[in-house]
Amino acid sequence: MRIPRLQMAAAIAAVAVGAATALAADFPSKPINYIIPFNAGGESDISARFQQSVWEKHTGGQPVVIQYQAGAGGAQAWSKLNGMEADGHTVMGINLPHTVLQPMIKDVGYQTDDLTPVHYFHYTPNAIFVSKDSKFKTLQDLIDHAKANPGAVTFAGSGSNSANHLAQAQFDQLAGVKTTYIPFTGTGPSVTAVLGNQTMAGFNYAPSGLNQGDAMRMLAVASEERMPAFPDVPTFKELGFDLVGGAYRGVSVPKDTPEEIRKKVSDIVAAINADPEFRKKMEAGGFVLTEVTYDKMEAFVESKKGEYAKAAELLGLKKQ
Amino acid sequence: MELLGYLIDSLTPFNLLLALGGVVLGTVIGALPGLSATMAVAVLVPFTFTMSPASALIALGAIYTGAIYGGAFAAILVNTPGTPSSIATTFDGYPMAKRGDGGLAVSIATIASVVGGMVGALGLLLLAPPLARIALNFGPPEYFWLAVFGLTLISVLSVGNTIKGLIGASIGLLMSMIGVAVVGGDVRYTMDTQFLLGGIDITSGLIGLFCIPVIIDLVATRDPHLKISENDTGLRLGEAFRITMREKFNLIRSSIIGTIIGILPGAGGSIAGLVSYSEARRSSKESSEYGKGHPGGVIATEAANNATVGGGFIPTLVLGIPGTPPDAIILGALLVQGIKVGPALFNDQGGIVYTFIFGLLIATMLMLPVGLLIGRYAYRSIISIPKAMLAPTIAFLVIIGSFAIHSDIADTYMMIGIGVIAWVLERYGFAASPIVLGLILGTIAEQGFVQSYLIGNATDNVFGMFFGRPICIALIVAAIFTLFYPLIADRFTPKKALDVELPSSAEEEPRPTRPLKYRDYPGMVIAALLILVGILAIIDTAGMSPLGSVFPTTIAAALIVFCMALLAQNMLRPVSTKGGKVVADAGQAEPSTWRRVAVTLALAAWAVAIDQIGFAVASIVGFAIVTFISNHDRTSPLRWLAYLAVACGIVAGFYLLMSEVLLIRLPKELLF
Repeated sequence: MRIPRLQMAAAIAAVAVGAATALAADFPSKPINYIIPFNAGGESDISARFQQSVWEKHTGGQPVVIQYQAGAGGAQAWSKLNGMEADGHTVMGINLPHTVLQPMIKDVGYQTDDLTPVHYFHYTPNAIFVSKDSKFKTLQDLIDHAKANPGAVTFAGSGSNSANHLAQAQFDQLAGVKTTYIPFTGTGPSVTAVLGNQTMAGFNYAPSGLNQGDAMRMLAVASEERMPAFPDVPTFKELGFDLVGGAYRGVSVPKDTPEEIRKKVSDIVAAINADPEFRKKMEAGGFVLTEVTYDKMEAFVESKKGEYAKAAELLGLKKQ
Repeated sequence: MELLGYLIDSLTPFNLLLALGGVVLGTVIGALPGLSATMAVAVLVPFTFTMSPASALIALGAIYTGAIYGGAFAAILVNTPGTPSSIATTFDGYPMAKRGDGGLAVSIATIASVVGGMVGALGLLLLAPPLARIALNFGPPEYFWLAVFGLTLISVLSVGNTIKGLIGASIGLLMSMIGVAVVGGDVRYTMDTQFLLGGIDITSGLIGLFCIPVIIDLVATRDPHLKISENDTGLRLGEAFRITMREKFNLIRSSIIGTIIGILPGAGGSIAGLVSYSEARRSSKESSEYGKGHPGGVIATEAANNATVGGGFIPTLVLGIPGTPPDAIILGALLVQGIKVGPALFNDQGGIVYTFIFGLLIATMLMLPVGLLIGRYAYRSIISIPKAMLAPTIAFLVIIGSFAIHSDIADTYMMIGIGVIAWVLERYGFAASPIVLGLILGTIAEQGFVQSYLIGNATDNVFGMFFGRPICIALIVAAIFTLFYPLIADRFTPKKALDVELPSSAEEEPRPTRPLKYRDYPGMVIAALLILVGILAIIDTAGMSPLGSVFPTTIAAALIVFCMALLAQNMLRPVSTKGGKVVADAGQAEPSTWRRVAVTLALAAWAVAIDQIGFAVASIVGFAIVTFISNHDRTSPLRWLAYLAVACGIVAGFYLLMSEVLLIRLPKELLF
């Protein structure tokens, strides 16, 4: 039975090669599976849902099917990405700093460079929040208090060694203060802690500022420019702290996906990013759109790796 | 009146159809272990993009409430919670089904779910803004004490067997710490494998702990799965109403507890059910009957878990903070629709909110006819299909259910492994429920503890954090009360009643033929092994950060102490004259060991085969093998053929449900 199997494999390979070239021409030829490596309901899911609502306009009518494969903070899905069908009809959400930090501190079954992001389409900037009855009216109030009482200012944030946690460490260094970071199991519980005055402040992502309305005050946001959704909130840069960043989200493909298909997926994401309806929804939702297309990817990921390596040093992270 | 106008808005034929369809789909998905309310809601999201916001919410709310309710079917009929919310339903629902009251239990669960769901929805309708404050007043120390309060349930769950219950809870707590710690980021007890990095998924743990022992015992004998009572008239609705009326205080109290726990973003339906169960049992005059098939246990759990649906929407809609995981998805769907949730929602877009709340109320009421109809069918199927079909169907469901959680076969391996250990432990008196309690409450307790400590340390007020807050004090008092209630109750019970009660409550129920009075050698061997586990667990904390190691060290030390206590207790007991071994009841057939071993191996092989040769083929072959193992009768070739046809039908049906409806990624290896 050995020969027929070999022949079959050869035949499959031949068909696959032929199919790949044919596929690139009329890609996408069927619905695209878009795997979210987290549970439903988080920012990765919501932004994918925003894309889904306009997706068909930019793929010649082929819809996208969102599937969830959560586990180990995303690592479960990312470690399996390269084993999936590499014809462009299977794509996966990808996040920074997760995909840099995870392999840096533990063996998670993939390395940062094993993954093939084709487009990072947005980020949610870190921001400092306080509840509406907090005595901190400005960032300076908070810094003054932290200087007078080292360690006493508590920041709620989502998870340990996360984008929020990195930002808190960077902030401490830039402002020359010492604060205490309290990790929670996600954005929801951490915002609840801020709203309920369980902690003095929170390092959360900017979209949290929208749902809570007047109940929370944003002291500063880590975006390049002021965000359309929060015209009155100053950036850290304006206030003299070089703090820009948050959680970046993009789309990746299995590593065997042909070059032309990678570009096509990147083009679809870019076209959706240019869609006025999508832009409006994303900006109103507190997301900042980015145009890191496939050709800019290598430089982008390299620069982020450098930045996170420095920040990880601040947190004292090392491989366990 | 304005509200009345919204009621009429919600009554359009389209909305009613959505509510009905949502409840039906939700109930079916919820009834299948592994397929959760979260999954059901997520699947529906894209369809809601084209609907009006109120209709979308009604559809999502209906499927959610249906799924929470559906979990009761699996809990009652196969002792496996269909969703984590119905864990405590198994405590009394399954014993009821075992003795022939399965139909009655389903009816009671349905009535309780409807009432609980209504109370939760009414809370949302009338009191949402003030109730939302509760979510904000619940900080890390409150969550810590809530978890501790939940753990005190062990004392009532394991009356007469307390040490084994405590050992079980310690095992569960240690299991909950496996993986990457959210607080602190330590990697714990993964044995350097990637497999354990994500920790033990609660759902796969639940399926393993509850359902694998059921399957192993199911194939071992020829006896029917559930007893069919002589005068069985189906769901016995009238009787169910009478019983529920008798338990009306329990029903209302549990609904209120469920609503309030639903509001807490870190808690959820499983904890609501456990807390209500504990309260129902504590306050009942017949508390010794709980755990042996008392309808009050089913009422408490099912009323509470459906009340969490309405309760969970309170912080979701008022604060923009999802109360439960399905709420998070619904929140996302609303954002895509362009709706801003939060304090402004009730005022600015009151029309949407109130139309939705009425829709949720209608969907909840629809659960009564829908649930009774599906329940009747499910109950009939379970008691009438031959064992040679029932066992493989359940086996198939647990395998695909555990796979479906993360589309990962590793969860299935984990589920089978945990299940086999659970079966062994259960055989020697270590029940599954304390382990489950530890597994569920462990993360909440630990995170609450570490967060409270960090905040207390930063503000120089660690003691005040834990003991100085009003809700904390109330929870501590409640915990102490529950913990010592069995003792207090005994003291104040009249002597006469005590005499009647003792013989039935002092012994362990499932295996009354193995008296504990004699020295329990298997239990001692297990205790010795667990001491070793505890020592290894403590040694392994060496590389962890102080905050990451404080909890595992404490729990492992507690495990060692409890195990030593068990050893000491047994040393004081006389050696059994019969050598500790007790033969099964004379009336029953001898359970077949080869079948037990074979079915365990078959399940493991089945899981491996799914990964290697693909889902469909592996499942049909696996189904056929388990059919063979569980077949105790002489069977004609024609019957085998019929079995094979049914097997193909069931596998094909679920294949389509999983891959086409629920959009779960199935392994497509050599032969799809």
